[in-house]
Amino acid sequence: MPKTGGNAVDIELTINGERTTVEAGSADDLATVLRQHGYIGVKCGCDGGTCGASKVFIDGEVRMACGMAATDADGSEIRTVAALGTQADLHPVQQAFVDNFAVQCGFCIPGMVIQAVALLDSNPDPTEQEVREALDDNVCRCTGYQKPVEAVLDAAGRMQGEQSVAADGGRPVTVPPHGDESTSCCGGGCDE
Amino acid sequence: MRLHGGRPVSDSDRVRKTSKQPEGTERKEPDPTEADRESATGAAREPDRKPESERDAISVDEEKDDARKIVTGQARYTADYRDRFPDLAHGRVVRSDIAHGYVESVDTSAAEAMDGVDAVITPFDDVVPDKLYSSSGQSYPEPSPWDLKVLREHVRFVGDPVAAVAADDPETADRAARKIEVEYRELDAVFDPEEAFGEDAPQLFEADDVENKQSGADYSQNLESHFEGELGDVDAEFEQASDDEERYVIETEWETPYQSHCVPEPHTTIAYTDEDDRHTFITATQVPFHTRRQIAHLFDVPIRNVRVKKPRIGAGFGSKQEMAIEPITFALHLAADRPVKLEMSRQEEFTALRFRHPMQMQMRTAVTDDGDIEAMDLYTLSNSGAYGTHGMTVANNVGTKPLPLYPRVPNVRFSGDVVHTNLPMGAAMRGYGAPQGHFAVEAHMDEVARHLGFDPIEFRLQNAVREGDLDRSVAILKDGDRFTREIRSCGIRECVDRGKEAIGYDGIEQPDEDHRKRGVGMALIAQGSGVAGKELGAAQVQMNEDGSFHLQVGGVDTGTGADTMFSQIAAEVLGCTPEDVVVIAADTDLTPFDYGAYASSTTYISGRAVKNAAEDAKERLLEWGSKLIDEPPEALDTGDGGVYSERTDDSVSLEEIGYEATYGDDEREHILGDGNHSTDESPPPYGAQFVDVTVDTETGEYELNKLVFAADCGVAINPALVEGQIEGGEHMSLEYATSGDLTFDEEGNPEVLGFRQYGMPRTTDHPEMETVLVETHEPTGPFGAKSIAELPTNGVPPALSNAIRDAVGVRLTELPFTAEDLKAALDERSADDG
Repeated sequence: MPKTGGNAVDIELTINGERTTVEAGSADDLATVLRQHGYIGVKCGCDGGTCGASKVFIDGEVRMACGMAATDADGSEIRTVAALGTQADLHPVQQAFVDNFAVQCGFCIPGMVIQAVALLDSNPDPTEQEVREALDDNVCRCTGYQKPVEAVLDAAGRMQGEQSVAADGGRPVTVPPHGDESTSCCGGGCDE
Repeated sequence: MRLHGGRPVSDSDRVRKTSKQPEGTERKEPDPTEADRESATGAAREPDRKPESERDAISVDEEKDDARKIVTGQARYTADYRDRFPDLAHGRVVRSDIAHGYVESVDTSAAEAMDGVDAVITPFDDVVPDKLYSSSGQSYPEPSPWDLKVLREHVRFVGDPVAAVAADDPETADRAARKIEVEYRELDAVFDPEEAFGEDAPQLFEADDVENKQSGADYSQNLESHFEGELGDVDAEFEQASDDEERYVIETEWETPYQSHCVPEPHTTIAYTDEDDRHTFITATQVPFHTRRQIAHLFDVPIRNVRVKKPRIGAGFGSKQEMAIEPITFALHLAADRPVKLEMSRQEEFTALRFRHPMQMQMRTAVTDDGDIEAMDLYTLSNSGAYGTHGMTVANNVGTKPLPLYPRVPNVRFSGDVVHTNLPMGAAMRGYGAPQGHFAVEAHMDEVARHLGFDPIEFRLQNAVREGDLDRSVAILKDGDRFTREIRSCGIRECVDRGKEAIGYDGIEQPDEDHRKRGVGMALIAQGSGVAGKELGAAQVQMNEDGSFHLQVGGVDTGTGADTMFSQIAAEVLGCTPEDVVVIAADTDLTPFDYGAYASSTTYISGRAVKNAAEDAKERLLEWGSKLIDEPPEALDTGDGGVYSERTDDSVSLEEIGYEATYGDDEREHILGDGNHSTDESPPPYGAQFVDVTVDTETGEYELNKLVFAADCGVAINPALVEGQIEGGEHMSLEYATSGDLTFDEEGNPEVLGFRQYGMPRTTDHPEMETVLVETHEPTGPFGAKSIAELPTNGVPPALSNAIRDAVGVRLTELPFTAEDLKAALDERSADDG
């Protein structure tokens, strides 16, 4: 266990479906603690709470993990980008980012994917302007945001398509078909 | 020489109007079907030139090889390797809080007494080399002065590193760093480049503070470099023109600010010494091999004992061409005797690392009333900040990138001064002087056209580069004609035509309200493909018995998708799919040499090395195919995962060849291919940037309606990745034009400490963007490719200045353009008119 900053306390977290007890210092932000425990999809690109790279779901709400004290997350349920899909079986939003070439250096992408999933959960058919507003605090230096925005609109189309299948009696796919602990795609409307 | 220009002219100054069309502006590009036919016949003569129908792995939107890792959060960047080092120590740098002075003493006792502190280093420690070096990450010997020390006794800006600590965890490192007490003897500082440039200003460097001085250096007046070059006789032409009623002389002035790379992943390095005593760096770098050499020289260890590995990196844009933090990390590692990770904070990125050089430029031209440019004279004063890394070379590119847009102008002069101030240091940044230079040249040309009553686009096309031109201006600062360049591919006219169509140039509708005015502006753009005569790329292809290949290449993917591009080029030659090519890149122990990812060299130089290596391996494939098909190698080719005969249609799979070559009864061979590429060529990619703007004349606020960028990068190996480069480059260019800037207080303290204070455009700040790819074939590039990455960073400032001029008739000359500036310009014109 890595050493932590400040007086260490144990906090209980459910991370991507797994309950765990971690040691966190009073000075540690949540992103640092998650990264120390191997959740490297949580990125740190600023000095706290501005660039969006550390976005995760905390009890269903999107938060920048670097902008909150780890101890404030005690008892909460956290979902990182790693819970959404696997490389072989991507979440529709992840797949759309891949297919639309929305990824360059990729450092900001986990946070952007999390925000896009949250958006499409609350607003399955957003306009381009709504996508842009949703992603407004995710800074990206490589893409000019063009292809990420296209990817989110494409993902919306794909997920709508899947949902219309479900409405016709097919399998509902708001929750993508991933194995065990990574079954939930979002923090918003997925009861499990 | 200094120019003192009058203010740019405005509408009311207009000399005369004419509807005469300049000559020579008709579109001369062949139509696409004709081009395809030409390509097909050309294919017989040039095996490198393929019509689209014969391309398998190139001109294809191949999925970026790391995209799935990235979207699932599995991609490992430098900091993500911490779990490989159980005893990793964490570094922290103590930085100067004064702009200029000497470190008198450093009290480290309180920090050293802390639990969990592994090392504290100061400029006075033996482990810190007392040696001058350049952090530039350029080829050897660096065309940048050696003026840095790892830790600095003489501090020259707020942010200079004076000490560093390594501790068991980041929080302890932070606390220890705060307990280090530094006493300074302060010196006078200077922050304005014009004030700094003179004998009376505070002097940053004594002559012996610098080795490897650059051309024209005079440190007694803070001059890092002065340079000038001339073609023809500029003064004579201006003199004649000023006495001639049919010729005009027009002067303009331009100013650009600091810009931050805003590199997504802050600079991060892990340094350790492995079980074989090899000093190893996992580091976010664009230049593994240059870093290896620079570290070896600086720390006096053999190059062979240093290993530099580039993992996935969170982009570079030039900031990671710099060896900005590796030396401190290594010194901490030596002092702590354990692996050390040093990771910059965002505040350090914004205050202490590297930036685009601010500049003041003057541009003067002599033009005939027929619209022929007879002379161009460009001068730049570059603020290098406290140190000289890339100072001269970036300033050189202010002229040598945009002036070649007009290679037939007979009289050209370009000169510059690079001066030091007590502010953060400029360095390489995507575009590399070309964004500054294009602002001056392309906004100037627009002004000249409007002044003379020409259509601004037609005026430029009349003078602009054509295929077959001999370009001497690119080499204006060099002796001799070795680097004079023949233009072998140029799609600039089709870029303009298609850009005009995409922006709706001929059908712009004005808003209904009287106080809102709409306009469109255009800028021509050129860049290079690598540094002419200063590049080397190398690659090796190894066949596996299952018909797949390992491609070892020194080239560096900074997030652009270069590794994917490499696999496509190799696959096109080898006849396999890109997925059959495993790319192993940018590790000085495992891959052949490469100068690294800068100067838009990766596709053109490293990609060509990959092609050469694959062609070398292909010869062996055909040899083995010949044995197995029993036909001569000359009758065979690769394709569809095998070697086939065009005569008989017989074929053998690459897998069969792989197994036979590896395990055959009679003969065995590991099929290998190697390739090098170095050249004096640096063919320019071309572009046309269009901006559509609406200005509110009551407030000066303006709104961008649309951006269009049409690009000629030769043959696009992966068109989707090329589009991504263009869109991202335009983003930076948009920021440069509208919002990016660093400010400092009167003591040189930075006022921009993070994203909150910096004007980086967000999603909602971006207008609609349309990208047009115009294909040409560059005969010296791999499969006809030129570069793309830097090209699109150059266009928005001039195109927006031109669009605003088009909309409301006033000229903005200082970046970034604010509503206040525009309102002031409108008010000034009203006053003049009144």
